[in-house]
Amino acid sequence: MSTLSSPIVFIVDDDEDMRLSMQRVLKTVGLRAELFATPLDFLQRNIPDAPSCLVLDVRLPGMGGLEVQHKLIEAGINIPIIFITAHGDIPMTVKAMKSGAVEFLTKPFRHQELLDAIQQALQRDQLSRRHRNEIAELQERYKGLTARERKVMDLVVSGMQTKQIAAILGTSEITAAVHRGHVMHKMRAGSPAELGSMAERLKLSANR
Amino acid sequence: MANEDVQKTLAELSRDLHESKARLEEAQRVASVGHWEWDLETDVVVWSDETYRIFGLSPRGRPMDLATVRSMVHPEDREPLYQGVDQDLVAGERPKAEFRIVRPSGEVRTVSSLTSERWNSSPGDAKRDASGRPYKLFGTIQDITERKRTEEALQEISRKLQESNARLEEAQRIANVGHYSWNLIENRVIWSDEVYRIYGLDPQQGPIDLAKVSEMIHPEDRELVFRAAEEALQSELPADIEHRLVRPDGEVRTIHSVGTVKRDTSGRPYEMFGTAQDITDRKRSEKALKQSQFYLSEGQRLAHMGSWAFNDSGHYWSDELYKIYGLDPQNGAPTIEQYLALIHPQDRASMAETIKRMQEEHCGFDQIERIVRPDGQLRYIRAVAVPVIEQGVFKGFIGTTMDVTEQELLMQELRREQAYLAEAQSLAHIGSWATNFYTKQMFHLSDETFRLHGFDPKDRIPLERFFDTIHPEDAATVTAAINQAMNSRTDFDIREYRVCHPDGTIRFVRAIGHHNRSGEMGYYVGITMDITERKKAEQEREKLRQLEADLAHINRVNTMGELAAALAHEIKQPIAAAVANAGACLGFLEGQRPDILEAREAASGTIGSARRAAEIIDHVRSLFKKSFPQREPVEVNELIREVALLLHNDIRRNSVAVHLELAENLPEVAGDRVQLEQVLMNLMLNAIEAMRDAGGDLTITSQQTDDGHLVISVSDTGFGVPANKIDQIFDTFFTTKPQGTGMGLAISRSIVESHGGRLWATSDSGRGATFRFTLPHEGLMGT
Repeated sequence: MSTLSSPIVFIVDDDEDMRLSMQRVLKTVGLRAELFATPLDFLQRNIPDAPSCLVLDVRLPGMGGLEVQHKLIEAGINIPIIFITAHGDIPMTVKAMKSGAVEFLTKPFRHQELLDAIQQALQRDQLSRRHRNEIAELQERYKGLTARERKVMDLVVSGMQTKQIAAILGTSEITAAVHRGHVMHKMRAGSPAELGSMAERLKLSANR
Repeated sequence: MANEDVQKTLAELSRDLHESKARLEEAQRVASVGHWEWDLETDVVVWSDETYRIFGLSPRGRPMDLATVRSMVHPEDREPLYQGVDQDLVAGERPKAEFRIVRPSGEVRTVSSLTSERWNSSPGDAKRDASGRPYKLFGTIQDITERKRTEEALQEISRKLQESNARLEEAQRIANVGHYSWNLIENRVIWSDEVYRIYGLDPQQGPIDLAKVSEMIHPEDRELVFRAAEEALQSELPADIEHRLVRPDGEVRTIHSVGTVKRDTSGRPYEMFGTAQDITDRKRSEKALKQSQFYLSEGQRLAHMGSWAFNDSGHYWSDELYKIYGLDPQNGAPTIEQYLALIHPQDRASMAETIKRMQEEHCGFDQIERIVRPDGQLRYIRAVAVPVIEQGVFKGFIGTTMDVTEQELLMQELRREQAYLAEAQSLAHIGSWATNFYTKQMFHLSDETFRLHGFDPKDRIPLERFFDTIHPEDAATVTAAINQAMNSRTDFDIREYRVCHPDGTIRFVRAIGHHNRSGEMGYYVGITMDITERKKAEQEREKLRQLEADLAHINRVNTMGELAAALAHEIKQPIAAAVANAGACLGFLEGQRPDILEAREAASGTIGSARRAAEIIDHVRSLFKKSFPQREPVEVNELIREVALLLHNDIRRNSVAVHLELAENLPEVAGDRVQLEQVLMNLMLNAIEAMRDAGGDLTITSQQTDDGHLVISVSDTGFGVPANKIDQIFDTFFTTKPQGTGMGLAISRSIVESHGGRLWATSDSGRGATFRFTLPHEGLMGT
C-alpha cells in the first residue's frame, strides 16, 4: 500500500570537485543526489520518507565522519552510510563497519564501486523501511481490537482451542468463537500461525 | 792391859773403819758412785753396795764374776768397752769409759767408769805385785743416766733455741725486720743479719760502730734519728721513727725503727734494743694506692662519673655521684623514693619500672634519663648497673652514673644537623659517602645515597651491590675511573653514568670522590648526585635545539612524513575526483542512449580535477624552491664540525666513533648553508643508522680535487648497500628503513645538484658505505 517516492542519495564532502564528480556518477544511473559541504548542513536537513543513503567523507571540517555516524544513531535516524576516505586505516574501518556502515571506499575509487555500494545501501534502506511500515500497519490493526479481543488474541497465540478460551473467559463456546473470528478478521490473519507471527513482530516492535 | 788397849784400840779402829766405810757407802749412794775391785790373780770381783744398786742388783746378793759383769754390759757397748780398756792399760793410762748396762729388769742405764791398777809396793792408785805387774784392778762406776738425760735435754733446748733463732732471723729477713742492741755503756752496736741486709751490707762484715751507722742514715734524717734516740733515753717512751738510709750502692730505703731503752735497777739506761724494718716497698705501694685513689676520684670528677654499690652492708655513693645529683654527701645516699623524686617526671615511671625489675630479676641496665637537681637544673645522665654475683650467689649491684648532658645536647644538635643535612641531601638529590674502595669497607652512607641507588636506607647493602646497580654499559668506565684515581691517589669526578634501580628505573648520576692524601689507599669521601632531572632538562634543551635545527632544516623524518601524508591527501582529492568524473563520463557514454552533453561535462570535470592535482604539486615544489636562492660563502669544514656537534647525542647513543679528516685551507663555497647542512645531516644520520646496533666508525673527510672541486665523503662501517640497490637509493620514496620516507637522499641529491655538484655512493655490502658529494668552490661558481 506504501507508495515509495524515488530514492535519494545524500553526499557530504568538503571538496567541491569530489561532490560534483560523485553527483555525475549517480546521474549516469539516474539517481538523485543532494550535496552538502559540511556535516552540519546535512544534519539540519529533514530526511524525507523515501529510500535514501549517505555518502560521507571521513575527514571533514568541524566534525569527523565517524562522529556524524554516531550522532545519527543517537538521533535514531536510520540511514545506511558509505564512508569515503583519502587514506583509511584498519581500526577506523572496523569502527565504522561495526557501527553499521555499508561500505568503506578509499579514494580514488572506481565509479562502479561507488554505484554498487549505493545500490546496496538503498536496497537495505528500502527493506528496513518496508519492515517499519508493516509493523506500523500491524500496530494500526491491533489498535482496532477491543480489550476482550486482545485477550482472545493472546490466548489464541498461546495455542488454545476455542473451548479452552471460553472456559477461561467464562463465556459460552459460541461467544468465544465469535470473538476469535473478529480478531482474525481485524488483524487480517489467515491462520492462527499467521496471527502468532504478527503477535511476535508486534512484541518485538514494542520492545524496541 | 796393852791387850785391852789394843783390843780397845782395835775396837775403836774397827768402829771407825765401819763408820768411814758406812760414810763412803753413803757418799757413794748419794753420788751414785760404786766401786769395785778385781783381783787379777784370783779373778774375784768385789763390788760395793752402790755398784750392785747401779747394776740393779741387791747388794752382796752374790759374788760377782767377770762373766756376769760382761753379760750385763749393753751388747752394743761390750766390744768397744773391753778393747778400749785393754788399749788404755797397754798404753799405761787409766782406762776411762762411758757405756750402757742392762739391768736384770731390762732397764738400760748409762754409766761412767774409771779404772786404775794396784800394786803392792805402793799404796797409790794401782796395785802391782813385786814384779811390777798389777795384781788388782780397782775402779769406780757412776750411774750418769740422769746427767746424760739432762745433758741431752740441754742439748735439745740449745738446738731448739738455735733453730728458733734461725727462724726468727728468717722471719725477720722475710719481713725485712732486723733487730739491734746498742750497748750504751760500751757504746757498741750489735746487729742482726737482717739489719745488715737492710743497710745493704754483708752480715759477715763484722761489727758496726755508731759513726758508720750515722754515716749511712740519710743526711736529711740524721738529726731526726738521733734526736729520737735522745728523747727515748730521757723518757719512758720508745723511739718510734721512720727514716731513710742510703745503701753503699746509693739506693735509698725507708726504715721504720722502734727502740726501747733498758735500764738497770737503779734506773740507769744500759742498753737500747730495737727493731728496724725496711718499709720502702710498703711505703711505695701505699703511695701507689693513694695515687690510684686520687686518680679514681679525680677521674670521676673529670668524667662527671660517679659510682655506687648496693648490697647487704649498705648503699655506697661516691663523692662525684653526689655532685652529679646535686646532693650533699653529708646526708648520705638517698632512698629509692628520694632518688626517684630526682628523676625528670617524664622519665620517672620508666626508671621506677627499671629499678623494680632490677630488684626482682637481679638484672643490670644501661640507660639515659633526665634528672632535675634540687636547684632545678636539668641534666642528662647515663646510668649503668651491673649485678654482682659471686659463685652463683647474688650479692648486690654496682654501677656507674655519668653526667652526659653535654654529650646529649651535642648529640641532639648533631641529630638535628643530620636531619637538616639529610633533608638538604634529599632535596638536592645528593648523597654523601665515605668508603674504601680497596678494602670494600663503608664508613658512611647517607640515606640519600641509598635512595639514589634504589635501596632502602634501612637495609644493609654491601659495596658490591652499589656497583651492581651501575648500568652495564657504564660499569667498565666507572670502575676504570675509580681504579685509576685509586692507583694515582687522586680525586675523581665521573660526570655522568647510569644506575639501574631494582624497580627498573634508570637514573643518571654524577659521582665525585675526594681522596685524602694522608689517608689509606682507596679511602674516598664523596658525593653522588642525581642528575637525571638536569639531564632531562639538558635533553629537553637539546631537543628544543634539535627541533629548532630540524625546523630550520625541514625535519628529516617527521616533517617529511607529515609533508608526504599531507601531500598525498591533497593530491588524492583531485585525483579521486578526476577518476570519478572519468567514470561518470564513461557511464554517460554507455547504454542505449548515450548522454553526450553530460559526458562532455564529466570529461571537462576530469580535466579540471587533474589540473588541480598538478597545481598542488607545483605549489609544493614552489615551497621547496622558496629557500633556494640563498647563496653565501660557506666554510665546509666548519659546517661539518657543526653538524657533527649537532648529532653528538645520536653518535654517543649508538656507540659510534667519529673521525674528522678535514683538509686545511679549503676555499669557501657559495651555497645555502642550511641546505648544505641538511645534506650533511642526512648522510651522517644515514651512516649512524646503518651502524645502529653494532656501533662503528663514522669518517668524514674533506679535500680539494685537482680540478678545484671540493669533495666531501661520509663513510660508515655499517651493513652497507647491496650492489643491486646502489642505483635505486637516490630514487624518491626508496627506503630500506621502516620509518624512512625515501626522500632524504633524493632531496640531498637535488640540493647538491642545485649547487652545481654531484652526490653518489659506493659500498661493499656488509662492509659499510661511503657517500661522496662534490661542490664547486666559490671561484668556480660562475663557470
